[in-house]
Amino acid sequence: MRILLIEDDDSVADFIVEGLQQNGYEVSRASDGEQGLTLAREHAFDAMIVDRMLPLLDGLSAIEALRDEKNTTPVLILSALGEVEDRVEGLKAGGDDYLVKPFALVELLARVEALLRRQSTGTTQTMLKTADLEMDLLTHKVTRAGVRFNLQPREYKLLEYLMKHAGQVVTRTMLLENVWEYHFDPQTNVIDVHISRLRQKIDRDFDRPLLSTVRGAGYMLHDPEQL
Amino acid sequence: MILTKVLASYTFRFMSLYVAALSIAGLLVSIAMYAMYTNNFFYTTNDSFNTEMQAFEAAYSDDGVVGVRDYIEKTTHLQRFERYFYLVVDEEHNKIAGNKAAWTSFKQYGDDWLSFQLDLVRGDRNTANQQFWGQSRTLDNGNILLVARDYGDVIYTMTLVTYVVLRSMAITIALGIIGGAVLAALSVYRVDKINQSVSAIMTSGDLSQRIDRSNHQGDFRELTTNLNNMLGRIEMLMQGMREVSNNIAHDLRTPLTRLRNNLAKLQDLPGGERDTIAQELTEEADNILSTFNALLRIARVESGNQRAGFKEIDIKVILLDVIELYEPLMAAKSIALYQKLDRGLVVNGDRHLLFQAFANLIDNAIKYTPEGGEVTVALDVDGSRGKVSIADTGIGIADTEKPKVFRRFFRVEASRSLQRGNGLGLSLVAAVVSLHKGGINLADASPGLCVNVDLPGFA
Repeated sequence: MRILLIEDDDSVADFIVEGLQQNGYEVSRASDGEQGLTLAREHAFDAMIVDRMLPLLDGLSAIEALRDEKNTTPVLILSALGEVEDRVEGLKAGGDDYLVKPFALVELLARVEALLRRQSTGTTQTMLKTADLEMDLLTHKVTRAGVRFNLQPREYKLLEYLMKHAGQVVTRTMLLENVWEYHFDPQTNVIDVHISRLRQKIDRDFDRPLLSTVRGAGYMLHDPEQL
Repeated sequence: MILTKVLASYTFRFMSLYVAALSIAGLLVSIAMYAMYTNNFFYTTNDSFNTEMQAFEAAYSDDGVVGVRDYIEKTTHLQRFERYFYLVVDEEHNKIAGNKAAWTSFKQYGDDWLSFQLDLVRGDRNTANQQFWGQSRTLDNGNILLVARDYGDVIYTMTLVTYVVLRSMAITIALGIIGGAVLAALSVYRVDKINQSVSAIMTSGDLSQRIDRSNHQGDFRELTTNLNNMLGRIEMLMQGMREVSNNIAHDLRTPLTRLRNNLAKLQDLPGGERDTIAQELTEEADNILSTFNALLRIARVESGNQRAGFKEIDIKVILLDVIELYEPLMAAKSIALYQKLDRGLVVNGDRHLLFQAFANLIDNAIKYTPEGGEVTVALDVDGSRGKVSIADTGIGIADTEKPKVFRRFFRVEASRSLQRGNGLGLSLVAAVVSLHKGGINLADASPGLCVNVDLPGFA
């Protein structure tokens, strides 16, 4: 997987490049908007990580230019500006996700992976499956080993998101943004309680727990036997 | 000094301009009236000359010299003033009859109009070189008839009118300038007083001083009141800033110092311990970052430029979402939740910020309510306004502390040890509420605290 990083701050860039390389990505880096635009035009990348404030050409203009040229490479915008309006502006310019600085590396990795996944699953699924856990997206029926669960609407949405990103780390912020659809900063780890409730339903009566906590990062739903 | 100020003042310049405009207008009106009067006078005079000439000619033709004498006697008897003079001369300009002494040289103005000068004795006024004008008619036998009239009275009237107009205009201008100067001096005096007070406050930097408004009325009183209000606001902001910097010094420097010291210690530790300390340090750094983020967020909300992204949103939906998010947390702490949600309230606002505000309030309520307690969330809608109340059965806040809790970094002393937190939660709530033009107050739920948030609905 090839990723283009456009970031002018050397130490932030080194931090991201190193983290991505350790996770098996191939990274090219540009240190200003124009260089980034040239690289993006010359090579095909699987995803791009673009800082908003860049010398020569700002990140949003670079993304807009690429989108005008029908370049659909998924873009993650990095920015110190984190208010809702800034996000909306970023997504309008053609960004696919928005991450506010400072961020943890796990958050960045989780989002990059989600972006790449979004790209690959083009067809609409009607059935999600992780190990023996199954979710029918049409009838909203959820079963594990044939046993049916009754989930609250929000629990269903939470599980759906986790299953769509099965095998991937999903951070708390990603859950708040995608399941609850609010950009906010919880003072307490409210998400943990929701996860443990969900765990009660889908994991309690079974030997193999599917939903695990990733320390310092978030959660992951995966089939333990596949690892 | 004061004179230059007066002359330069707006009031004075305005008054001068006004007086000048008024004088010009007066002059134009006078000229117009003069023209009209002259025109009218000329026509009347022309008519009466014709009448006189006809009557005089008739009298001379009928009875000759005797007729003229009779006619003059009759007309002078009728007229109080000897207004008209009559003369009949032969071809050599020798007098035949009339009350005018002799033929004089005159200026001819075309047709039969002429003017000449003549000494005149009339009444008590002995006037020399009076201007006369007259009409002459040459008869078939060569004799010339002359009817003349002095127009001294006309000139006199005109002079009088001009004199009065000019005099009154001069008086108007003089009075206008004096009045303008007085008015300007008064306003300069009052503005000067305010200026002095303001510059005194600026130089001393003592924002607790106020401008004396006791001797001002009307608009000046309003101006000083507004200036004083502005000073009050600046004073409050300055105070807030001082407080914030003090608090930043305390609440951010302390954890940063801890972070620094632990980092220094880290170098001397054996491998195993190093990992746990590194983990703690990361958490510490994260806390500092989140405090900074919260501070920046409050600053951005308070700057008020986020209204651009406002949309119509239902407060009830937001409250239900917050409750839904926090319900498991309450269940885990065995806290009973009561909802008293009225019909929906649509407001013009930012859903993310409002969600954050109510989440902070409910988070606090849960934090400070002991196990087995209660939290009540209510929404009352009255007309276009709504009130959200979040009440708990926790430790509450003392009345003396209540006004302080919205300040940045303020933490109720008892809670410092009890709960983690950065002391910015309620500051953000207050900022969000005021961004939405609402109000917030704290009441006793006895026991516990009740936070009331008033929000204006979408008009």
